[in-house]
Amino acid sequence: MLMILTPTMMLLPMIWLSSSAHLWASVLAHSMTIALVSLSWLCLPMEAGWSSLNSFIATDPLSTPLLVLTCWLLPLMILASQNHMAKEPINRQRVYISLLTSLQIFLILAFGATEMIMFYVMFEATLIPTLIIITRWGNQTERLNAGIYFLFYTLAGSLPLLVALLVLQNSTGSLSFLTTQFSPPLQLHTEASKIWWAGCLLAFLVKMPLYGAHLWLPKAHVEAPIAGSMILAAVLLKLGGYGMMRIIIILDPLTKQLSYPFIILALWGVVMTGSICLRQTDLKSLIAYSSVSHMGLVAAGILIQTPWGFTGALILMIAHGLTSSALFCLANTNYERTHSRTMLLARGLQMVLPLLATWWFLFTLANLALPPLPNLMGELMIISSLFNWSNWTLLLTGAGTLITASYSLHMFLTTQRGPITSPVLAIEPTHTREHLLMILHLLPLLLLILKPALIWGWAL
Amino acid sequence: MHFTTMILSSSLLTVFLILTLPILGTLNPNPTKSQWAKENVKTAVKTAFFVSLIPLFIFINEGLEVIMTNWEWMNTLMFNINISLKFDLYSVVFTPVALYVTWSILEFASWYMHNDPNMNRFFKYLLIFLIAMIILVTANNMFQLFIGWEGVGIMSFLLIGWWSGRADANTAALQAVAYNRVGDIGLILAMAWMAVNLNSWEMQQLFSLTASHDLTLPLLGLVLAATGKSAQFGLHPWLPSAMEGPTPVSALLHSSTMVVAGIFLLVRLSPMMENNPLVLSICLCLGALTTVFTATCALTQNDIKKIIAFSTSSQLGLMMVTIGLNQPYLAFLHICTHAFFKAMLFLCSGSIIHSLNDEQDIGKMGGLHQLLPLTSSCLTIGSLALTGTPFLAGFFSKDAIIEALSTSYLNAWALVLTLLATSFTAIYSLRVVFFVSMGHPRFNSLSPINENNPSVMNPLKRLAWGSILAGLLITTNITPMKPLVMTMPLTLKLAALTVTITGLLTALELASLTSQQFKTKPLPTTHHFSNMLGYFPSVIHRLIPKANLVLGQLVANQTIDQTWLEKTGPKMMTSINLPLISSTSNLQQGVIKTYFLMFFFTMILAILTLV
Repeated sequence: MLMILTPTMMLLPMIWLSSSAHLWASVLAHSMTIALVSLSWLCLPMEAGWSSLNSFIATDPLSTPLLVLTCWLLPLMILASQNHMAKEPINRQRVYISLLTSLQIFLILAFGATEMIMFYVMFEATLIPTLIIITRWGNQTERLNAGIYFLFYTLAGSLPLLVALLVLQNSTGSLSFLTTQFSPPLQLHTEASKIWWAGCLLAFLVKMPLYGAHLWLPKAHVEAPIAGSMILAAVLLKLGGYGMMRIIIILDPLTKQLSYPFIILALWGVVMTGSICLRQTDLKSLIAYSSVSHMGLVAAGILIQTPWGFTGALILMIAHGLTSSALFCLANTNYERTHSRTMLLARGLQMVLPLLATWWFLFTLANLALPPLPNLMGELMIISSLFNWSNWTLLLTGAGTLITASYSLHMFLTTQRGPITSPVLAIEPTHTREHLLMILHLLPLLLLILKPALIWGWAL
Repeated sequence: MHFTTMILSSSLLTVFLILTLPILGTLNPNPTKSQWAKENVKTAVKTAFFVSLIPLFIFINEGLEVIMTNWEWMNTLMFNINISLKFDLYSVVFTPVALYVTWSILEFASWYMHNDPNMNRFFKYLLIFLIAMIILVTANNMFQLFIGWEGVGIMSFLLIGWWSGRADANTAALQAVAYNRVGDIGLILAMAWMAVNLNSWEMQQLFSLTASHDLTLPLLGLVLAATGKSAQFGLHPWLPSAMEGPTPVSALLHSSTMVVAGIFLLVRLSPMMENNPLVLSICLCLGALTTVFTATCALTQNDIKKIIAFSTSSQLGLMMVTIGLNQPYLAFLHICTHAFFKAMLFLCSGSIIHSLNDEQDIGKMGGLHQLLPLTSSCLTIGSLALTGTPFLAGFFSKDAIIEALSTSYLNAWALVLTLLATSFTAIYSLRVVFFVSMGHPRFNSLSPINENNPSVMNPLKRLAWGSILAGLLITTNITPMKPLVMTMPLTLKLAALTVTITGLLTALELASLTSQQFKTKPLPTTHHFSNMLGYFPSVIHRLIPKANLVLGQLVANQTIDQTWLEKTGPKMMTSINLPLISSTSNLQQGVIKTYFLMFFFTMILAILTLV
C-alpha cells in the first residue's frame, strides 16, 4: 500500500517544485506510473482475503478494484483538465492539481482503511477538495449553490453515521473491518436499533445517491469542472457503495426487512431518473441523471445482500465509473468547442469530428450495457439476484434497461447524427490528447471483458 | 480426438478467423484503400463460405455434431460461463446459408454503394454484423447467445441509420433498438430465471435440468424476446421502418439473418418448449396473427421495399406458427429457404430502385421486363418461390408447414388465419410483379437503367439458383428430427396450393378491374386500414412514448425533482430557519429603553412567581 501512497504524497512537492513548463507533463507521467504500479494489486492472491496488510490500511478483493480505479483516474483527470486550465496563472494550476492529488490520497486511505473511523474520516475528507474544485473552478454562479447542496446533503447523511459508529464502538469494542465478520451478533431488538440501522446506511445511500436524496448530484455534476465531474462519477459515488457493502455485514438481522422500502425506492428511481434523462436538454445533466439511475441499480444489488448482488454491484460500479467518466470527458470536449451544454445546439458532430463520434458511440453502448462489456455482466447479475428476491422487480429493472437504451441512443443521435448545426461549423479539430483520454477509458473496459474475475469481489 | 470431429470444429473456427481478419486489419491507422471492401471483405466472406461447406458435408455424411468448450470465462460461486460453441444441425446448416447470402449481398452492395464515400465502413459494419450473427447461431450458452443477439441489434442500429443526415433514418434506427430492447427484457427474464432456478446457462445443462420445473415464465420471456427480434405482432412496426436503411442492409439484416434470430432462439431452445402446451399455443396464435396482419398491411403498400418488408414479417409469423406446432425443424427449414429468395427480392428491388433513379413507388414503375430482363425475371422467381410454387425453394418448407398445421388438431382459428395469409402472399406478390414488370412504363424516360454489371448479375443469378434449388437440396440431404404426418386427405394436401391459386386468381381479377378502370377507387375503410398499417403505429407510437415523456417531464422532473424534493429538502431548511434568524436579528436594533423595560418586567414577573 505504501508503495502507492508514498509516491502519491510525493506528487505534492513535485507539483510545487517543478518548473512551469514541465508541470503537466511530469505530473501526468508520474501519476500514470503510479497507476500502472497500482495494477500490481490485482495480482495479489485474492483467496486469502486481506493482503498488503499493515496497521492501518490493507486491500481485499472488494477494495482492490476500487483502489486501482482511483489510481487510474488521476492521470485521466489531469489529461482532461489540461486544456481548460491552460489560461490560468501557474500557481492556480498547481493548486488545482494539488487538490486532485490530495483527493487521490484521501480516496486511497478511504478504500484501504481497515477501521471504520478512519474510513469515516477519509470519507469526509474527500468532501473538502471536491467542494473547492466545484465552487472555485465551476463555470457559472450556480456552482456556489451546487457546492452547498453537495456539502449539506452529504454532511446531513454522514453525521448520523458518526454517531452510529460510536454506538457500535461502545457495544462491540472494535470497529475493525478485519474482525467484523467474527464479532458476536448484535442484539438489535429495540426501536432505537432501527434508527441506528438507518444511521449506518443513510450516509452511503445519500452518497450513492439513492433516489430521493439525489438532488445534489446533477447540480454538482453540471457545475463542476471536468475533473470534478469525472472523479465524482467515477469514484466518489462508489465510496457510498463500498461503505454499504462493508457495513451491511454487521447489520444483518435487521437489514432483511428494513431494506425493502429502500430496494423499491432504488428501483423506482432507476425508472424515474431514466425518464428524466429522456427529457434532458442539458448534456451533462443527462449523464448525471444516468449516473443516478445506474447507481440505483447498484444500491438495490447491495441491499439484496446475496453474493450475486454484491458481485454485480461491484462490477457495475467499476464499469459505470469508467463509462460515465468517459461520457463526461466527451461532453467536455463538446463544451470546450461550443461553450454550451445544450444538446440541440451542437448536432451532427459526426460530420465534423468523426473519430470522436466513434468514441461517443462506444461509450453510449457501454452505458446501455451492451454484451459482453462488464456493464452488462454487472447489470445482469444484479437483475438476476433481484429476480431471485422477487419476480416482480423485473418489471422495474426491465423498464430501466429499455429506458436506458432509449436515452443513451437519444443522446448519441442528438449530438452526433442528423444535419449539422451552424454553431459547430467552425470548430477546433480534435487533439491527440483527447483521443488518448478516450482510449485510456476504453482500454480497461475492454480488457476487463477478458478477465472479469479481477472485479468479481468476494464471490470469486 | 477423432479426425472428422477435429476437421469439423477447426474449419468452423477457421470461418470465424477468416471473417475477423479484415476487421483487425482496419485497426491499422492508415486509411483503407478504396478497393478494400471488394478485395478483402467480399473475398473473406466467399472464402469463409467455401470453408464452411466442409463441416456441412461432414455433417451430411456422418451426422456429426460437436460441442466444444474452450475456456472458462467467468465463475461466480459455482456458476460457470464458458466460451462454448455448438456445431449441430442448426449452426452447421445455417452458417453456409448465411455466408452464401452475405457473399451475394456484399457483391451487390459494392455496386449499390459505390458512390458512397464511406463504403469501406459500410462493409465493415456488415461484416461485424455477420460475425455477431454467427456467434448467435453457434452459441452454446445463453451469455454468448446474448452477445450475438445484442450485437446484431446494435449493428442494425448503425446500418439503418447509415444515411445519418436524414431524420427518418435516425428515427427508424432508434425505433428498431427500442422494440428490440422490449424483447431483450424477455431474454433477460429467461436468463435470470435460468440462473436462479437451474444455476446454469449452458444449453445441454438447461435441457437436462428443466424437466422438473414449471417453465411457463421463462418461456414467455423467450417468446417476448422472439417477438421483439422477429417482429411479431405487437412489436412489429420496426421492421417496415427499418427499410430506411440502404437496400443491401434490408436484404441482409431485415430479411435473411437478423430478424430470424428470434425464431432461431426458439428453435434452439425448443427442447424446453415442447412439453409446455400453453406457450406453444401462444406461439401459434401470435404467429398466425402476425402472418395475417402483416400480409394485410402488405396488400396496399406502394413502396416496393415496404411490401417486401411486410412479406418478411408475414413469413416470420409463419415460422412462429411452426414453432407453435412444435415443429422447430420445419421452422428452421423455412428460415434457410426464406433467406435465399427474400435476399434476392431485396436485391432485385435495389437494382430497380437504382435503375429508376431512386424511385421506390411501384405505381411509377411498369414494363421493366423489357428493360431489366434479368432483374425482373429474378423478381418473378423470388415471388413465385415466396408464394410456395411447387418445387421452388419456398414450397418445400411452406407446404410442409401448412400440411403440418392442417393435420394437427390444435387450433382451427390459427389455421384459418394462416391460410388467409398464404393467399394474401399470392396477392401481394402478384401485385409487385404486375406493377413492376408488366404493363407499360410509367417512369421518366431518362432513367439510368443499366443492369449489365457483373456485380449486379452474379449475385442475382446465384441467389436465383439458390431460390430454385435450396429447398430441394436441404430437404433431400438432411433428415427431419421429428416425424411428419405424410398421409392426409387430398383436400388438405392441396390446401396450400388451393388458397394460393385462389388468391392469385382474385388478384388477377382485381388487377384487370383496376387497369380497365371499372373500379377506380378501393373501398376506403379496408384500404385505409391496410395502408395505415392497421392504425397500429399511429396509436402505439403516440400513446406510450407520450405517456413516458410526460412522466419524465411533468412527474419525475418538474413535480418530484424540481418541486417536492426541493421544497421538502433544502428549501424547507431555509424556510424553517429564516423566521428564527430574522426575528433574532430584528430584535437587535439598539432601542435601549425598550430593552430595559423588558428586563424590568421580566424581573417583576420572576419575583412574583418566586414569591
